[in-house]
Amino acid sequence: MAEIATICPYCGCGCGLYLHVANSRVVGTAPMRAHPVSRGRLCLKGWHAHELADSPDRLTRPLVRRGDELQEASWEEAVSEVVRGLQGVIERAGPQAVGVLGSARCSNEDNYLLVRFARAVVGTQNIDSGLAAYSLPEQIAAVSDARIADLDDADLIFLVGAEPGEEEPAVGAHIYRALQRGAKLVTASVRRHALARLAALHLPLKPGAEAAALGSLLYELVVERKLAGDADVTDLTAALADLKPAGAEGKTGLAAALVSGAADLWQAAEKVVVVFSSALAASVEGARAVSAMGAFRALGAGPRVAVLGLLGRCNLRGSWDMGVRRGFLPGAPAGDLAAEGRLKAAWGGDFASGEGLPAWEILDQCQALYVMGDDPSRNLPDWAARRARLEQVKFLVVQDLFLSPLAELAHVVLPAASFAEKDGTVTNLEGRVQLVRAAVKAPGEAREDWRIIAELSRAFGKPVSPQSAADVFAEISQAVPAYAGLSHHSLQAAGGAEIGRDGAADALAGAISALRAAEDGAQAAEQFPLLLVADPTLGTWAEEVSVSHLPVAGREFTVTGKDYPDGMLVLNPADGRKNDLRPGRPVEVASAHGAGRMQVKFSPEVPEGIAVTPYHHAARHRIMNIVAEVETGRPVFAPTPVSVGAGK
Amino acid sequence: MSNPYLPDIATIQRVKPETYDTTSFTLKFDDPGVWERFRFRPGQFVEISVFGAGEAPFCISSSAHGREDFDITVRRLGRVTQALHAMGEGAQVGVRGPLGNSFPLDEVAGKHVLFVGGGLGLAPLRPQILEVYRQRDKFQSITVLYGARTPDDLIYRDELEQWQNLEGMRCLLTVDVGGDGWTGNVGVVGSLLSEVKFDVGQAVVFVCGPPIMIRFVVRDLVAMGFGEDDIISTLERHMRCGIGKCNHCIHGDKYICLDGPVFTYRQMKAMMELEP
Amino acid sequence: MNAYFLPRDRVDELVGRLLRAAEVIAPKRVETGDVFYSPVSSPGEVAWDYKTAVEPLKRFLLPQQETVLRFSTGEKLRVEPVLEEKDRIFLAVRNCDVTGVNVLDAMFGGEIEDPYYMARRRRATFISLACLEADEQCFCVCGDAGPFLKNGYDQQWTPLAEGMLIEVGSDKGQALADAHQDLLSPAEPDQVAEKLQLAKRAEETFGEFRSYIAAAMRRLTLAETPDEVWERLADHCVECGGCTFLCPTCSCFTVTDRLEGDGGVRERHWDACLYNCYAREASGHNPRAEHSQRLRARFFHKLSHQWAQRNGRHACVGCGRCVVGCQAWAHMSAATEAIRRG
Repeated sequence: MAEIATICPYCGCGCGLYLHVANSRVVGTAPMRAHPVSRGRLCLKGWHAHELADSPDRLTRPLVRRGDELQEASWEEAVSEVVRGLQGVIERAGPQAVGVLGSARCSNEDNYLLVRFARAVVGTQNIDSGLAAYSLPEQIAAVSDARIADLDDADLIFLVGAEPGEEEPAVGAHIYRALQRGAKLVTASVRRHALARLAALHLPLKPGAEAAALGSLLYELVVERKLAGDADVTDLTAALADLKPAGAEGKTGLAAALVSGAADLWQAAEKVVVVFSSALAASVEGARAVSAMGAFRALGAGPRVAVLGLLGRCNLRGSWDMGVRRGFLPGAPAGDLAAEGRLKAAWGGDFASGEGLPAWEILDQCQALYVMGDDPSRNLPDWAARRARLEQVKFLVVQDLFLSPLAELAHVVLPAASFAEKDGTVTNLEGRVQLVRAAVKAPGEAREDWRIIAELSRAFGKPVSPQSAADVFAEISQAVPAYAGLSHHSLQAAGGAEIGRDGAADALAGAISALRAAEDGAQAAEQFPLLLVADPTLGTWAEEVSVSHLPVAGREFTVTGKDYPDGMLVLNPADGRKNDLRPGRPVEVASAHGAGRMQVKFSPEVPEGIAVTPYHHAARHRIMNIVAEVETGRPVFAPTPVSVGAGK
Repeated sequence: MSNPYLPDIATIQRVKPETYDTTSFTLKFDDPGVWERFRFRPGQFVEISVFGAGEAPFCISSSAHGREDFDITVRRLGRVTQALHAMGEGAQVGVRGPLGNSFPLDEVAGKHVLFVGGGLGLAPLRPQILEVYRQRDKFQSITVLYGARTPDDLIYRDELEQWQNLEGMRCLLTVDVGGDGWTGNVGVVGSLLSEVKFDVGQAVVFVCGPPIMIRFVVRDLVAMGFGEDDIISTLERHMRCGIGKCNHCIHGDKYICLDGPVFTYRQMKAMMELEP
Repeated sequence: MNAYFLPRDRVDELVGRLLRAAEVIAPKRVETGDVFYSPVSSPGEVAWDYKTAVEPLKRFLLPQQETVLRFSTGEKLRVEPVLEEKDRIFLAVRNCDVTGVNVLDAMFGGEIEDPYYMARRRRATFISLACLEADEQCFCVCGDAGPFLKNGYDQQWTPLAEGMLIEVGSDKGQALADAHQDLLSPAEPDQVAEKLQLAKRAEETFGEFRSYIAAAMRRLTLAETPDEVWERLADHCVECGGCTFLCPTCSCFTVTDRLEGDGGVRERHWDACLYNCYAREASGHNPRAEHSQRLRARFFHKLSHQWAQRNGRHACVGCGRCVVGCQAWAHMSAATEAIRRG
């Protein structure tokens, strides 16, 4: 038995774990005490990471569509099929007709070579993240400056959005331990989740008023309590004018006394860490609420403040750094001439250097799609409407571990190696670059994602030089400034290396314009008395192929689908009784935008008057109002007034 | 030392649909030597393997006497039961057992014996009903009360007809919801308890069925004066190993698989106190 | 039982002989600095100075995932067991972990034996290394499992100033001592006295964690713990399962079939009673649907008198791994404290 030190492939915490290997098979997982984030702990997913590598459902051979059927093929056939398919679209419609989606599940090496493949081999600038509609790279980069370890000496933790105990459990563990040593917790969220129940103060957020609620607290801190210190806050104060707690309760849903209570705790602290989750980022006020966080960092007096933005997927941050992000090259925004020069040198000539389309437009407009390690269908609010469009895509290539719902639509499916079968690096939510190590050989003919991309580049007549993941990383360290000086060799210690961010925007300026635009919370209407909110942290892993195929952990995640086959609608028990509903039974949910059937669950976590459904369940129906976010153009779920009635 | 996880191979001899979702399978060991060792007692259960789909526990629903094969009665619910339902005569399955304890027989001799079954709950009672009837001169009387949700949910319908006409056994049926062609009783099975005329101080009752039915029937039986040790039932839990190792079926301080599945009401009450 | 002395300069010689006789599992420091019980190939790999290992010994006797049967579904169904057997010496392992194995013995032995566990167990020899200093998370004194033991081991070694004091605790341990008499001498009274001194000093090194096992046991046994305690504990638990996987005595497993070619294998995997679907039935009914119910069932099984009587003792050895591994704050020390306070 050997213990291979590596990094958990699931959420963005980047926990250290060991894979136990016996007889060339991964047979177990153990936690890593020496790891600075996880410190000997793992969550439900992490404890079963070995099952991912060992799953009997893994793809082991390339599949090529012949008629209505995906049939096994050799790598040679599959690669020439991909080249033929992409070339065909390029010849007919130009390289920009090819869209490429990278993955927060794949390594930096995988994503970097994919970006190079897209921009320099195919010649398209349309490359984005499969999670684009779900996350906010620019806003998060501007405000999030903290390390997870900042929680360990914070005496006030202000937790905005959902609960890391559910979403990023390793961060949750740091919070639970901070509570044990006497730190105070203030929570602001729609659901009164487990950590909110342990908080010194809970601010019940009104859906759709997240930015305004933060503004109200900022008003109290900046204007009433004068915590700006020497900083010039004229513009900030002006932006907050309408958010004075005493008069803004209707707007924010927060009683002035609660805001004042939170400010008391803030003032009494020496170090505050503000933590927000990707649930907040995905909300209708996501961009504004996240940007507003920047103002906390501008407070010149009072406690030291650090802001920590959580990311729900393993290498989301690293994939952004690699340029799997609209309008971004590896390490710099598109248009950055120095970066273009660096990349031209590394990539051997001109490449498509423009901004490109965001993921949702790529899915709408591109005739050919190349999707690595993700199923973007899961991360779009209007998936129900888009699926039909995806079936029309002329050429779809998916490389993944399992035959995902998206892969079932593909023309070519390429079997990829899992985290347990490849070397590489991932960058966690706080910017910790860490080594992932191959513990066993990939099953059947599955290959590392970067190697597949390298093979395709060669088949396109533009071979890339790296021969190993370490070689790819060496190129990354040249191309991406934040990674300069790092190598696989230098990252061997537990915890790897911590890096900063390339090209982050001005936090205070962003906060001011966000707060100026902060909207009032949504209201239910007489005909539709409940406000339906889509929560991305609820059941976020339930249908993800990387957990649903695990023999033990999969059972825990797929049960949501068994109990709530049409989607889960969580209501306060009082609302349930008022509407004569029974737990587990189907209900008809109707809004001005549409109607659908879901199964109901009662939970006191949800306040009266509000109904909560997992983001992915909302995306299956046409019940919720989907709006385009002003700042980003991305489609987001707006809190939607609905009625519920007992279904048949 | 034999391996208690290693199933013996048996072949499906007969497939008999009981209702729209429930089917009885008659199983016979491929190796006749296994039967000698198998010899189950009423109330015991077996773990059935459908290789590839998995393993699940089923009570034995056939007579413990005079046969060299046995029946299980299976409702289509999960992975294993769905796979079983897809199998026909001649198909092979794995069998581990017999497992668990059994219904008392000699201990209750001389008493009035009452059986109360609901839905599929008649299946575990059937071997005991047949055995008590076979030795009927040892008992004062035999009464079977059986109810199901609708007439279509009644299992063993041909046999129920026989039982209703047997001398030495009283068998009454009821359904919660009647339907076309149903001329019998309508009402929950507990409503048949008013038909019980014997001295409950001299009686023992075996109750099997869905948890909710057991709860109401037991409440009525206690009210009628049945002693806590004279109310006997079987419990079910999710189960893996069937031999007290995997811990899935633990309820309070008991393994359902090892200490049960047969428990007296007194034992069940104590378990509920420890783990409500 | 007998006690011997092994001079310091002969320790490697004895370990070398053990290595030639069997697979030796010993504390081994991996590149991160963490220590695992792991096969060693030379005496120099043994991390004698370690405090505690990341994982207990459970994995060697009950693997996280193991194949139990192989079946072929061709013309005629064939099923055969897959049993692994080899001689193993567990060297310099901690007394809490040896006690953990003794609890597993009760669970997997008994009237119906688990052949997979027992095949490995029968061929295993346990040489413990008594702790001179507790680790941060340790509370074996509360668990009655260390730092020094009176019995339960095959041999217990204590590092004295000049060498190892070797106490024999079983026939297996005696046979091992007999085989290497040339390296050993009978222990002198002052060597035994030195050990007693070390044992006393070791007990003074325990840190902040303790476990009110007696109080918890009484309340659990009598079902006296109010529901609110479990509900509050549920708010301090994220159901990662870590406490159960790291526990030397938690041994729940589930079973799955896996198709391979024209046959397949039956595997068993560690399971956790804290998981939502652990007790869920095929019908969808879940007798422990509430998180608080699962916590109550777990601690009842670990500490109640009813289960202690079945297993010979309660099932906490105070190794403190649940303290290290808890993603929130529902480990044994926190739970017994909550139960005691009601």
